[in-house]
Formats: sequence, structure tokens, C-alpha cells
Amino acid sequence: MLKAENVRKVFGSTVVLDGVNLSVQPGEVVSILGSSGSGKSTLIRCINGLEKLDGGRITVDEFDVSKPRELAEARKRSGTVFQLFNLYPHMTALQNITLAPIQVLQQPKAEAERKARALLAQVGLGDRGDAYPAQLSGGQRQRVGICRALAMEPRYLLLDEVTSALDPEMTADVLGILADLARGGTTMVFVTHEIEFARQISNRIVFLDKGKLVVDLPTAAFFSAKGGMAVPRIAQFLSKMRKD
Amino acid sequence: MRFDLSILWPHLPFLWKGAVLSAEVCLLAIIGSVVLGALVAIARTSSAKPLRWLALAYVDLFRNVPFLVQLFFFYYGLPELGIYIDAFTTGVIALSIAGGAFASDAIRSGILAIEPGIIEAAEVSGLSRRVIFTRIVLPIALRTAIRPLGAVLVNMILTSSILSAITLNELTGSGRIVASDTFRPFEVYAVLLVFYAALTYAVSIAVNLLHVRLNRGISQDVA
Ligand SMILES: Nc1ncnc2c1ncn2[C@@H]1O[C@H](COP(=O)(O)OP(=O)(O)OP(=O)(O)O)[C@@H](O)[C@H]1O
Ligand SMILES: [Mg+2]
Repeated sequence: MLKAENVRKVFGSTVVLDGVNLSVQPGEVVSILGSSGSGKSTLIRCINGLEKLDGGRITVDEFDVSKPRELAEARKRSGTVFQLFNLYPHMTALQNITLAPIQVLQQPKAEAERKARALLAQVGLGDRGDAYPAQLSGGQRQRVGICRALAMEPRYLLLDEVTSALDPEMTADVLGILADLARGGTTMVFVTHEIEFARQISNRIVFLDKGKLVVDLPTAAFFSAKGGMAVPRIAQFLSKMRKD
Repeated sequence: MRFDLSILWPHLPFLWKGAVLSAEVCLLAIIGSVVLGALVAIARTSSAKPLRWLALAYVDLFRNVPFLVQLFFFYYGLPELGIYIDAFTTGVIALSIAGGAFASDAIRSGILAIEPGIIEAAEVSGLSRRVIFTRIVLPIALRTAIRPLGAVLVNMILTSSILSAITLNELTGSGRIVASDTFRPFEVYAVLLVFYAALTYAVSIAVNLLHVRLNRGISQDVA
């Protein structure tokens, strides 16, 4: 289980996360919605140890990300896909994917490459393993980014607006892949502005507002008139997002 | 006057020995200054303040003192403290230390230019700091740093001619001896000119090849 308890994060004098509680069970897809600046990215960055907590606790399968000795183990259990891909520019797609499995999981190179090629084929890039990131389109880069995260066989996949740097056609490609993963039982924590997509693939939806997690509901309840829509902030947010 | 290279014929083995010595010193000093420069660049981009401070002090000190003074200090000054180092080793060490100060600047700006997200991606995937540095930070930094670094190394080769001042008969030192034996400075120094040009040219070519190799995959930049 991935668990955030009473998480608090401040930057200077701004409270960015204020007593956030969240737990994600294996197999679940949880989407995080919220307007810009509500703290969604910061929450993801706290889970994967890129930001230090100022209060509370985050554990990934019992490993506390705030304890340096446990962080490595926690990180092995989660994989992150980034908005701007963050591929290693000097390595081919295949090398991007195999680096961590070889170095961290000690997989033999041949095995890591075989698995990487299988992943690339799964996302429709079977023939692009030897391409460098600069030779790939945005959508293709993000698919490599997803393969890189999956190659570590993470128990939890963290995705932060992974399609917002992509045009609509590429977005559809990448969302298609994520939908496949969700159907295949991959656990995901999914920050997105793609409301309709979140509605289709999520078991639960949580809503962040100014650093507070104001609602945590099963998807159907979140979109129902008596559930999430009864919260004025959420109704307002959803109608604004639908207009855009 | 006559230009007659045959006059140097009997002195060629001696000059050749000097040339080999120069090449050896330069090769070792290139390795030394790149390794030192990389270590100092790590220190200068580290989050530990004392380390940053120490590294900056080193860079500032050795960039702002004439090389000849550094050399005399190591060769003639240190024996006063009971530290004796032969001329060859002194030359390699002095060049590495001075070159390392400049090399660290080139490597450091390469490191600072790296997109932070790339390093974050490496961190969250659980890679150790050592692997992140050697497999990701350094190769990406060198993509932009290799040309300025090449200029530092070429400069170091030129500076190596000063080592004759501490009795090391590298090429320039040997040349001076031959010139005073034969009274033919024109021919002697003409040969030296060609040799140094060839040595620095070889380094430039190597740097260019490395640049292309490191920048594989960035099509618009391969030149
Ligand atoms: N490194 C930082 N230093 C200072 N303030 C920061 C830093 N990172 C984030 N913030 C602030 O924290 C708040 C939350 O930022 P965050 O990126 O988590 O929002 P978000 O919900 O992901 O927004 P968006 O939808 O625009 O991506 C913002 O007010 C932002 O300005
Ligand atoms: Mg964000």
C-alpha cells in the first residue's frame, strides 16, 4: 500500500500541502485533480522523494520515504513518468530503459534488453529502440518514458500530467497505452487535466484545493450530483475544465 | 641566410627524446587535469558549503598565480620543507593542478546547463549517486564542455614548454641546448614550431571526434 499521512509541505511562507491523507491499494487507479497550483505535482514529488516533507509521513509498502535508508527501497517500488519526459538525451531509447534495471536491479544486460524491447513493442515502438530522444516525436518520447518507468516493474506508477506537453493526436496514443495498463491491473497515481479520461480509468478520484485534499471518492460518486458535484469548488472546477 | 635542416641530423635523436618527453608529460597532465577538473566541478556543484568553498578557493588561487611561480614553488620551494619531487613528476603535477583549475570551470558550466528534470528522473529510478554522475551527469555535461575543455588542454600543451625552466629537457629545453650547440636557432625553432603545432592539432582533432561522439543523437549539432 502507498500511504500519505497528514503530509505537510511548505515553500518559504506558502503552505503547499496541508495535512494530506491518501492511500492507494495495489491494483487501484487513483486520479488527482485540482486547479493549477493546488499542490498536485508537489504531492507526487513528495511520494518519490524529490521533495522533503515538512510534516507527516509517506510510506510505500511500509518503506518511509523520509528515512534515507528506506528511500532507496521505496523508490524501487514506485516509477515516475514526467510531464516533460526527462529522457537521458545521450542514450538511445533502449539504453534509457535498461540503465536502471541493469544498475539497480542487477539484471543481466541481455535480459534487460529483451524486456525493454518487449515493452517498446507493447507501446508500438518496436523498431525505434536505437533512436535517440531527439530523433523521436513528443508522443514517442513519452512512450519511452513510460517504458523506462515500467522496466523497473514498479508496484506503483506515478504520472504527473504526462500528456500536457503533447498535441491531441499524441495525447490519444499515450492515453490509450495508459488505459491498457489500467486494464492490466497496474496501480497508478495519476495527476491529470484530462477529466473524461480520468473518469474512464479511475477507481477513485481525489481533489486537491490549495494544498488540502478536500474530496476522496469512488469515481462514480465523485461525478454524481450528491457526491463531488455537491462541493462548490469541484462543480466550478469541472465546469471550467469542460469549457476549455 | 641559408635554411639547412640537415645540420640538425645528428641532433635528431636528442630532439626526439625531448619530443617524447613533452608528449608524455602532456598526456599524463591531460588525464590529471581532466580527473581533477571533474572532481573539483563535483565539489563546486555539491550541496556541502565547505566543499564548495574549498573548491572555489583552489580554482581562484591557481588561476590567478603565474604558472612559472607555481612551478618554482613546487620545484624549488617544497624541498625547503623536505619534500623532494623529481622534475618530471613536478611538471606533471604542476600542469595537472593548473590545468585542473581551468578544466573544472568548463566542466562545471556543462553540469549547470543540464536540465534538472533529467537528474531527477535518474534519482527516482533508484540509481546511486556514483552511477548518476558517471553515466548521466558527466556525459551530458561533456557534450557542451568538451570544446572549452579542449581549449584548456591545448593551452596546457603550450604551457608545458615552460617546464624547461625546472631543468626538464622536454622539447623546448632540448631545442635550446641544440640551438646553442649548433648556433642554428632558426632551424631548431622551426622544427619546434612544427612539432607543437602537430601536437596541439592532434588534440584538437581528438576533441572534435569526441564532440561528435558525445553529441550523437542531436542531429542539428553534429559538426
Ligand atoms: N520549488 C518550489 N519553490 C517554491 N514554490 C514552489 C516550488 N514548487 C512549487 N511551488 C509552489 O507550490 C504550489 C503548488 O505547486 P504544484 O506544482 O504542486 O502545483 P500543481 O497542482 O502541480 O499545479 P499545475 O496544475 O499548474 O501543475 C504553487 O503555488 C507553486 O508556486
Ligand atoms: Mg503540476
